[in-house]
Amino acid sequence: MSQATQNILEIRDLCVEAGGKPLLDHLSLAIPEGEVHALLGQNGSGKTSLMMTIMGFTNYHVTRGQILFRGREINELNVGERARLGIAIAQQRPPTINGVTLRSVVRYALKNAPNPEAKLEELAQAAQVEPFLDRNINDGLSGGEIKRAELMQLLALSPAFAMMDEPDSGVDIEALALVGSLINRLFSPDETRPVKRKAGLIITHSGNILQHLHIDKAHIMYNGAIGCSGNPSIMLEQIAKCGYEECVRCMRTR
Amino acid sequence: MRALHENEVKNVKTIQNDTEKDVLSIAGYSDACEAAPAGLVPAEQIAKEDARELAGAGVLLDGGRSGTMVVRDHQPVCVEADSQAFEMLPLATALERYPEVREKYFFKAVPPDYDEVVRRCAAQETPLGFYIRVKAGKKVTLPCQVAMLMASENIAQIVHNIVILEDDSQLELVTGCLTRHSVNRGLHLAVGENYVGRNAKLVSTMVHSWGPEVTTYPRNGTVVAENGRFESNYVSLRPAKQVVSDPQTYLNGKGATAKYLTIVLSAPGSHISTQGTVHLNAEDTGAELMHRGVCTGGEMRQGGLLIGKARCKAHVDCAGMLLDPSGKGSIESVPGLKSYHPDARMSHEASIGKIAPEEVEYLMSFGMEEQEAISMLIRGFLGTDLVGLGKELDGQIAEIAEIAGHGE
Repeated sequence: MSQATQNILEIRDLCVEAGGKPLLDHLSLAIPEGEVHALLGQNGSGKTSLMMTIMGFTNYHVTRGQILFRGREINELNVGERARLGIAIAQQRPPTINGVTLRSVVRYALKNAPNPEAKLEELAQAAQVEPFLDRNINDGLSGGEIKRAELMQLLALSPAFAMMDEPDSGVDIEALALVGSLINRLFSPDETRPVKRKAGLIITHSGNILQHLHIDKAHIMYNGAIGCSGNPSIMLEQIAKCGYEECVRCMRTR
Repeated sequence: MRALHENEVKNVKTIQNDTEKDVLSIAGYSDACEAAPAGLVPAEQIAKEDARELAGAGVLLDGGRSGTMVVRDHQPVCVEADSQAFEMLPLATALERYPEVREKYFFKAVPPDYDEVVRRCAAQETPLGFYIRVKAGKKVTLPCQVAMLMASENIAQIVHNIVILEDDSQLELVTGCLTRHSVNRGLHLAVGENYVGRNAKLVSTMVHSWGPEVTTYPRNGTVVAENGRFESNYVSLRPAKQVVSDPQTYLNGKGATAKYLTIVLSAPGSHISTQGTVHLNAEDTGAELMHRGVCTGGEMRQGGLLIGKARCKAHVDCAGMLLDPSGKGSIESVPGLKSYHPDARMSHEASIGKIAPEEVEYLMSFGMEEQEAISMLIRGFLGTDLVGLGKELDGQIAEIAEIAGHGE
């Protein structure tokens, strides 16, 4: 029996600019419910811009096109409203905020949970963030520590659609295993039914995260648009072998 | 007993502020005030409406305090001290009973001719205010509290308070200075003198909550003896029309330390000037001054002057958040260092900023409304969580953040 698979996220002909600079150029993308997709592409191709636009950060101006979440257009919704719908992001370089601790934001994220304090302690242990739980958020943290802090926040929020910006870059094997286990926990919260997943979008360069996480589909971005979509393993193999130049050549000559 | 202020404040510059004579003219204020009960009443008998107002300024009448004093308009209406460790009296009574007080402590940390405000206070026939003396070696566990309430419209309240901590004693004092919410205009002049003995520790938290046309000029002087410690927290909740405050602390004993924390809101129509000077007069003294100001449209001047006359270590940090885009509000941050000694290691920092939109949106990505995010940022800026103030203050600082966040 086949389920009608609705798209959790659909982007139609999206054009985005920031500070007068065009970032996304007629971009279209569809992610079905329960699927985790990867976003690949060279630096500057627009991967982070796409995620930030989906989240609703105001410096990214949508000049054309639609973003639909579960069939509903969300262009006019602000960051807070989109977060309450179930969209969340783990940024690569989140801001440092004086006087606001990681503990306080996670506590906020857990405010409707049945046992918030216990859950907070458990997540802190799982993500190994106890040493900096009570410091100014993101203050003086290494790249790896920021990733774990951001993942702890996502676990607390338990979003329907989670976006992650390079969770596997600059991470050693051990740290990658920890990050991988946290991400799996996020997308497959029910251990007894791992096939039933939440949805998400992950930016990766190396593809290392694929050692720990099953990805349903990969998209290569080029010049602010999706250039090519397909099987993640095949694409990463190709990129590893011939580099992005080959992808660009292929996309150009299609 | 040995005078605690053996190095009495000397050579204090008096201030000629003749222009302030008009501002301070009591003729502009009424003598008429609400009929008060004859004599003193116990704390439970303070009227419920007043009790509620007092609670907003940190003065709680439902227990958990070692002593309570309430001054309403021109007289004390409640004086209760539940401890053998210290004595609390109206100052007038203490002066009558203990000639030593007048000899050794009365206008000694603040010279009687310091400026026009102090001269007005010294001219009072009968001083109004409190006298607290903690006995040697006694550490008072529960905080002691005093409320200076202006219940009647348009009066001038002039108070003088003296706190003495004998050697090895400790006290936490909460002073709430406020007008009833129905009161618009008033004048509050206050002289506060603190004497902190050897190894003694005084934590003094002042919460101010004023009507929009109130003018207040507190004049404070604190003398700290060897290894003594003075912590002064000042929170201004509902800003008055004008506040000019510049508490002086004299670290006269070796190893004496001081810490100031000032948290102020300046709303449209307010002129708030909160300075503070610490005189590091002895070896191994230390001071930390922290100012946090949020300005939604008034004028704000924040500063802290450290004067190092001996080997010492001190730091002053002024941070202001200007939330008013109209251009009428302003913040002036003036931290200052003055050194007379090569081993006086002093530093300062000042910054003025606004709420960063990226930070607001980052917090919103957790599901917060914009106002919630702004409030959280302001609370973080005011540093509640990091400083560990009492629960009462946490609520009040959260209120400042709410008010500032809504741009009222």
